[in-house]
Amino acid sequence: MTQTTAPAPPAAVLSQRFAQRAQRYLTRAAVILILAASGYWLISSFVDNPVLFTSSAVAGLQNGALFALIALGYTLVYGIIELINFAHGDLFMLSTMVAGFFITSFFGVTVSGASFLGWVMFLAALVGCMVFGASVNVAIEFVAYRRLRKAPKLAPLITAVGMSFTLLFFGLFFGGSAPTSNWASLLPQGALDLGGVRVEYKFFVIIAVAVPILLLMSWIVTQTRTGKAMRAVAQDQDAARLMGINVNRIISFTFGLGGALAGVAGIMYQQVIGTTRYDLGFQFGLIAFTAAVLGGIGNLTGAVLGGVLIGLVKGLNDGVGLGQAWSQTVVFTILILFMVFRPTGLLGQTVGEKV
Amino acid sequence: MTVSDIATVTQAPKQRRSFVKPSMRWPLGLLVAAVAFFLFYYFDTYFARAVPDQFSDFMHQWLPLLSVNEALVYVMCAVGLNVVVGYAGLLDLGFVAFWAIGGYTAGWLMSGFFHTLNFRFFGSAFTKVNEIPGIHINFWTVLVAAGLICALFGVIIGAPTLRLRSDYLALVTLGFGEITYEVFYNGNNVFGKNISNGTQGITPVDSVRFFGFDQTGALTWKDLGPFDALPKFVIFVGLAAIVMFASMRIREGRLGRAWLAIREDELAASSMGVPLMPTKLKAYAIGAVAGGIGGVAFAIHVSGVLPDRFRFDISITLLAMVVLGGMGNVWGVTIGALVLAWTNSTALPQVQKAITESGADVEVGTTLVVVGVALAVLGVVLMIRGVSGGLLPVFIGVLVVVIGGALLYKGPGTSFQFLVFGSVLVLMMLFRREGLIPEARTRLVLREQERTDAEGLGADMEDVAPELEALTDEAIHVGGVAPTQMIDGKETKR
Amino acid sequence: MTATVSTRTTAALTAESLTVRFGGLTAVNRISFDIPLGGIVSLIGPNGAGKTTFFNALTGLYHLAEGRVMLGDRNVTGLSPNKIANLGVARTFQNIRLFGLMTAEENVKVAMHGHMKSGVFSTILRMPWQRHEEKAAHDAALELLDFVGIGKTAGEYARNLSYGDQRRLEVARALALKPSVLLLDEPTAGMNPRESAIFTDFVHRVRDEKNVSILLIEHDMSVVMRVSERITVLDRGETIAEGGPADIKANERVIEAYLGKSGTEV
Repeated sequence: MTQTTAPAPPAAVLSQRFAQRAQRYLTRAAVILILAASGYWLISSFVDNPVLFTSSAVAGLQNGALFALIALGYTLVYGIIELINFAHGDLFMLSTMVAGFFITSFFGVTVSGASFLGWVMFLAALVGCMVFGASVNVAIEFVAYRRLRKAPKLAPLITAVGMSFTLLFFGLFFGGSAPTSNWASLLPQGALDLGGVRVEYKFFVIIAVAVPILLLMSWIVTQTRTGKAMRAVAQDQDAARLMGINVNRIISFTFGLGGALAGVAGIMYQQVIGTTRYDLGFQFGLIAFTAAVLGGIGNLTGAVLGGVLIGLVKGLNDGVGLGQAWSQTVVFTILILFMVFRPTGLLGQTVGEKV
Repeated sequence: MTVSDIATVTQAPKQRRSFVKPSMRWPLGLLVAAVAFFLFYYFDTYFARAVPDQFSDFMHQWLPLLSVNEALVYVMCAVGLNVVVGYAGLLDLGFVAFWAIGGYTAGWLMSGFFHTLNFRFFGSAFTKVNEIPGIHINFWTVLVAAGLICALFGVIIGAPTLRLRSDYLALVTLGFGEITYEVFYNGNNVFGKNISNGTQGITPVDSVRFFGFDQTGALTWKDLGPFDALPKFVIFVGLAAIVMFASMRIREGRLGRAWLAIREDELAASSMGVPLMPTKLKAYAIGAVAGGIGGVAFAIHVSGVLPDRFRFDISITLLAMVVLGGMGNVWGVTIGALVLAWTNSTALPQVQKAITESGADVEVGTTLVVVGVALAVLGVVLMIRGVSGGLLPVFIGVLVVVIGGALLYKGPGTSFQFLVFGSVLVLMMLFRREGLIPEARTRLVLREQERTDAEGLGADMEDVAPELEALTDEAIHVGGVAPTQMIDGKETKR
Repeated sequence: MTATVSTRTTAALTAESLTVRFGGLTAVNRISFDIPLGGIVSLIGPNGAGKTTFFNALTGLYHLAEGRVMLGDRNVTGLSPNKIANLGVARTFQNIRLFGLMTAEENVKVAMHGHMKSGVFSTILRMPWQRHEEKAAHDAALELLDFVGIGKTAGEYARNLSYGDQRRLEVARALALKPSVLLLDEPTAGMNPRESAIFTDFVHRVRDEKNVSILLIEHDMSVVMRVSERITVLDRGETIAEGGPADIKANERVIEAYLGKSGTEV
């Protein structure tokens, strides 16, 4: 009865042997060419100006950690209900604003600089942002996506775009259309000088926050009961339901987890970069999704790897490549190349569209 | 019988007879509206005394010519997007790219941009603008050129990506939209070459030579200047009509059937001899042609091209228009585009202006909050009572509260565009997926829930039954079977 | 065991050592098979034996790991499904896959896509030849619907048709491809014995009047035995028996495949 729905990759559905083989060779050639070209470019630009190169890479890593956090939110949700949650990037954007609100208005911090009290406030704001992100994401799922879980695929996608726009409204409403600045940072302000390469202390804070959170995530998903339930739901909702798993709760939990990560990314961005803008979420969201695809959508390690890689690519491009003006083009070109030639990403498994 | 036939027939009760064929109601209605609108502005401009002042003021405030022209451009693009999304079922979130490419085609071929060249082709070579060296090609030729170029880009973008799953396709198109924008935005220096003047844009583009009116309102043949919005209205209505007509004709033919089949079931369609990639590519290319025409029209409308007009929010706006009107139904999409474009350009600013001028933002805000809360409470009560349809009032109530709250918090200066388009998308998907003026088929399709996996499993089990029956029948001949053993042989659902 | 008699000259379709693999799983293993010209043959086997996979491989939906498919003298191996369909291999689906929101007539017309020529511009302008083609398609579609006995439902959405009519519509749609080979995937699934009996006659009529060779996948043994001129039995992706209905009924391996070796299965 189920043979027609056998898990054949979509490529096989349209088996055109010759075309496939030709495409395989072409892909291989293109990949080698691209790798060679980028390798050459990396080495030559490093030799050209090692200091600039390294600083760009550090800046890239810093962004990469944020991308990884956001990408995790995408990948978690996609892994479980196969939905590109377009609103996720905007949730991140709102989180940056909430972080700014917490620290500047709620705690009344006006002068940047670290102190013991500052760290306490930072942690409080961090928790606040996580709670904010989680609750908004859960609410969005509850309000908009839940009712469309069995609907044709176009419907939840369009709804996600609509939610993204709705969040954009709030961003524009609270943040205005100009970049918001004059926000104080609670993080240490100085920088290390490593042979001409300036590494800001904030960089270490980002790493110090991101890494444990990523580890925690992976622990939750792989070790806890809830994590196992999540994976079960991702595999087969109905079977999971039959096994006594509360599917709705697990999906809510997943959205909450993703939202919390967006909250973390939000406060880190606000504290490190110091400015935000209502359309930040659109850009970062797309880049983070690219990261998720790059690593293999649905794959947590992949999302982190993709985030760091995309961060590096973007950092290097901004610093020693085509320049910031073209960073979206570079990132999206990578997205498109991966989507077309390796939709499974670097670490992903073959996922066929459910026929 | 055509699609629109079916739509109208099912709506109209049989006993009511009318002069017009049901299939002609929409086109005639829109035509009458367009003619009336034209006549009003014609008399208003040239025979001002013939029109009552109050009426004239009202129209200028609430239905200004320029915003209607812009809405018509949106119609062209939305109808184009409808070919991709509504007909073929491919979600395209970067449609503005074609609009932009069409616009820049006009910019390149109808201005002094390439000032090192000096090429004229039936351009309106009599005005001062056209004394500047550059490429000056006739508007109608540029329309065709833009259509072709956009079709080409549609194929270029579509060829590698159309094999992707639907959600990936959405994302990739979004990416393409952004790349296009960035290329034009940074286009003053692409590897040392200037292809778009960057943020400056290309202005002005040449005027169109067309029928216009002189000061007395007499018909003349002239170059349309920035103030000749009325002749442009005629051009835009014509272009929109052509796009709509063509898209409906295609839909009724061989290609349209293939699109529908693909939208319904790709695998079955290909098994029935419909080539998937070429058919999808045609949807892309044809949609792109409409986008290109819209782009050229827009360049004429604002007499120039600026990259900032081609951001992702326009793509989403276009999607909202298609969704609001009803995916697949050209009339619905047209109305959706007109309504949303008008809301965006006229209604929202006018309402906000009215509130500002009256200084009643607190009152209006409070009223809205109260009404919204009341609606939401009503909805909740309905839901508790178990009445279906209680959710919609809750959603609308919350929306109204948000709007009212925004007014109270920040005054009428708030920009509500994102909220409007966002909630249109969400609300339509949640409550009326088939759109306000649905295509007859879509009304069925989107209402229904897809078969869940559990049901699928059940169906499989049902299928086993006759087979079991038959087997046990046969088995009696072959040598006695316990039916349960067959179930062991049953494949597990993958 | 595979007693395939190569009848190249009279075969409508020949599959030579067809193999399909999904990852490590070999779903169809070196199956050789042919459909004689004008014949009605059946493929049976327990669930999971690889029957539908074999079908999908024949129609180009799955990638072949090995083997080739000949349609008459023409090698169609590795062609895309739409090309194979237009060359004359039509099929129906096990779990009906009609275009639910298209009318019965439109469903049939979709399958004529490959035989029609009118392009975008002639469609927009409704050129005389385009109109003529549409008219011809319309007539042909109605004729086919009449042939399968559901002429009255031409204007109905496929999803609103009764189950039996949907099955018939699938056949009509497949016939619209003007096939030389018709593959029917469990056409009587969900039918009651009486309907199945009617269906048997129908299959003969299709073969005789439309000049097609037919391959059936069937679970309903009574149908299989009555209709087939030759039966091939698959189990776990391999051919375990082939022959006339009587031979198959008496074949021990077949019985074993269906019922399991006594004592080895619980």
